[in-house]
Amino acid sequence: MEQNHENSFWKSSIKAVPGRPSPKKDIKIMNNRGKGASTSSSASFENYQQSVNDAWTISEDELTKEYRILSDDPKLLIRRSSQNSSRTHKNPQQIAVVHKTSSSTSANSINLTNNITLSNTANINNNIESNQTDETNYREENEHQQKPSNSSSSNERSIEYGSLRQRFNSYPGRPQLLKFSSMTLKDDAESKLEKFSAILEADLLNLKALKELSWSGAPRKMRAVVWRLLSGYLPTSLERRNSVLERKRIDYHNLVKQYFYVESRDEAQQDTFRQIHIDVPRMNPHVPLFQQKLVQEMFERILFIWAIRHPASGYVQGINDLVTPFFIVFLQEQVGVDKVLETYRFEDLPIEQRNIIEADSFWCISKFLDSIQDNYIFAQLGIQEKVNQLKELIQRIDVTLHKHLQSHGVDYLQFSFRWMNNLLTRELPLYCTIRLWDTYLAESDGFAVFQLYVCAAFLLHWREQLLQENDFQGLMLLLQNLPTHHWLDSHISVLVAEAFRLKFTYADAPKHLEVKS
Amino acid sequence: MGTRDDEYDYLFKVVLIGDSGVGKSNLLSRFTRNEFNLESKSTIGVEFATRSIVVDNKTIKAQIWDTAGQERYRAITSAYYRGAVGALLVYDIAKHLTYENVERWLRELRDHADQNIVIMLVGNKSDLRHLRAVPTDEAKTFAERNGLSFIETSALDSTNVETAFQNILTEIYRIVSQKQIRDPPEGDVIRPSNVEPIDVKPTVTSEVRKQCCQ
Repeated sequence: MEQNHENSFWKSSIKAVPGRPSPKKDIKIMNNRGKGASTSSSASFENYQQSVNDAWTISEDELTKEYRILSDDPKLLIRRSSQNSSRTHKNPQQIAVVHKTSSSTSANSINLTNNITLSNTANINNNIESNQTDETNYREENEHQQKPSNSSSSNERSIEYGSLRQRFNSYPGRPQLLKFSSMTLKDDAESKLEKFSAILEADLLNLKALKELSWSGAPRKMRAVVWRLLSGYLPTSLERRNSVLERKRIDYHNLVKQYFYVESRDEAQQDTFRQIHIDVPRMNPHVPLFQQKLVQEMFERILFIWAIRHPASGYVQGINDLVTPFFIVFLQEQVGVDKVLETYRFEDLPIEQRNIIEADSFWCISKFLDSIQDNYIFAQLGIQEKVNQLKELIQRIDVTLHKHLQSHGVDYLQFSFRWMNNLLTRELPLYCTIRLWDTYLAESDGFAVFQLYVCAAFLLHWREQLLQENDFQGLMLLLQNLPTHHWLDSHISVLVAEAFRLKFTYADAPKHLEVKS
Repeated sequence: MGTRDDEYDYLFKVVLIGDSGVGKSNLLSRFTRNEFNLESKSTIGVEFATRSIVVDNKTIKAQIWDTAGQERYRAITSAYYRGAVGALLVYDIAKHLTYENVERWLRELRDHADQNIVIMLVGNKSDLRHLRAVPTDEAKTFAERNGLSFIETSALDSTNVETAFQNILTEIYRIVSQKQIRDPPEGDVIRPSNVEPIDVKPTVTSEVRKQCCQ
């Protein structure tokens, strides 16, 4: 090996690295980010606060307890969340009308100011109750398992803490999927389905209305169609949809022939394929579905072709995890919402249907990644920039937490890199990711900016636990293994609501991302 | 394991580096938690774990940073070399390419790490005897020529994992404790005298315990 020092295998180090910097360009991209932030006035936000006071007569204590860590002003946050999780107006036409009247730049601020007046309190109650039932069940289960020996006043904390520690030992650094399917299927109330149907069946899609509605979660039955539309894969014109789908699926089939089944691959392509081939089998190691050859080969094709077609970034570890939600949603569509997917035998599905899942996953992930390509270019500048923004944001929002992390030597890059790179897929159960992506896909100005606030809300959610850790090790282990295994869709609703609040509050402030001292 | 954070004499930062899929994360989980996953998820960025061992009645706490293997992550992961006093450079004995790339990793360390960092070359997956692509002797010779320690391990059947970490931590400990006795650090057994002493300050968060309390 040493003899080779000057030549042979070093040559690979001078080979073209996909996306090797054109730093100026990258910086320009990033500078432009964050500028397009919402310009909604704080007055409308106050209006909103007042207008939703009445929605919060019920269950506040319960929810506050559950989400107590999220915000300095939990009431506000929860209000927002309930409003989100209950966009269940009787007449879908109304929504469209209301939104058309608004001229605000932020679609979400429209939600805030206008939807409230239409809120259907009964539905709010229903939603919250159903969420609570799930959470109560979970708690009971948990307590049953853990059997705390002494239940003094710090009991709850110590139970949580104990289970945390336990979890470090069992799955350190690698949150496990529990179930693909959320336990909150019953959330898909009839009225919600009707509203989605009305929008989806219109001759010309009201994309804005669909985004408004989907921001709070799409029904499982319609999620596949909704995602195709939101990601821009399907056209808004109803009559063109089928022909576009057909053509795109054929296009993908041709791409596979053109790029995947080739006689020989060049060195860079071989490297890419090797990396994908190493990563795919270990994506969800304990889930039988992902151990099937047909499934793994499908992922390899999707990822490889995407990488070849996106030389600026190429394949980056973690992108594989981003295909999973699309795959699951489109698979669920083919096999039916009630089927358990973890153990599903993929070969039982006719090849035509498998091809549909593959092609649609490919086109949707392609659209999805378009807005965050700078995350995956050389040196991952997009992520580094976002990590810095997160740091500045937390410094402004919660200086106590920020100082706590800093004083123990915890660097934001150390824990939030993965959050950004994998869009929290490694931190959340898969069904929560899917729910989160309803919101991401529905974000009017792309989710790249919003993701920053979701990460901030996510970090702040754990503030109490973090403040209790008093050394670097404790903090890092907690941050790498945040106990989200019991999270439900409702947690995501609260999380995105808080993220929205943060964006609303801080994105407008002109200096909110400036470095302070 | 289970040692409280403030109960240690030395704190050493060690990085795990090497190509994707050679078993870095499993070496770490085997050492810190005695666990192994045949298929463990790819590491994104870096991951952190810790374990303490005892050498000469001194508690040495190892802060170990496991890094992503893909080249794209180098810019991020190399930031973690700073302050590291040890590196386990891992390759897969069944995949020759991962061994060939060892030189590139060494260059990474030269560029980004402390020049006195103690490096151990680790040939992992020694249980895959029938698939061996890198002869032990070849790697051993290479390591000697480059002033690296060398060991072959199997995170799967636990062979030598404990020894590998014990050895590198002991080696670092010897250097550091000798430096404390001798000042200036002339006649360093490991390094020529024209290099700076290993600076462990960035990773030591508490004072070394008083000698009389042993």
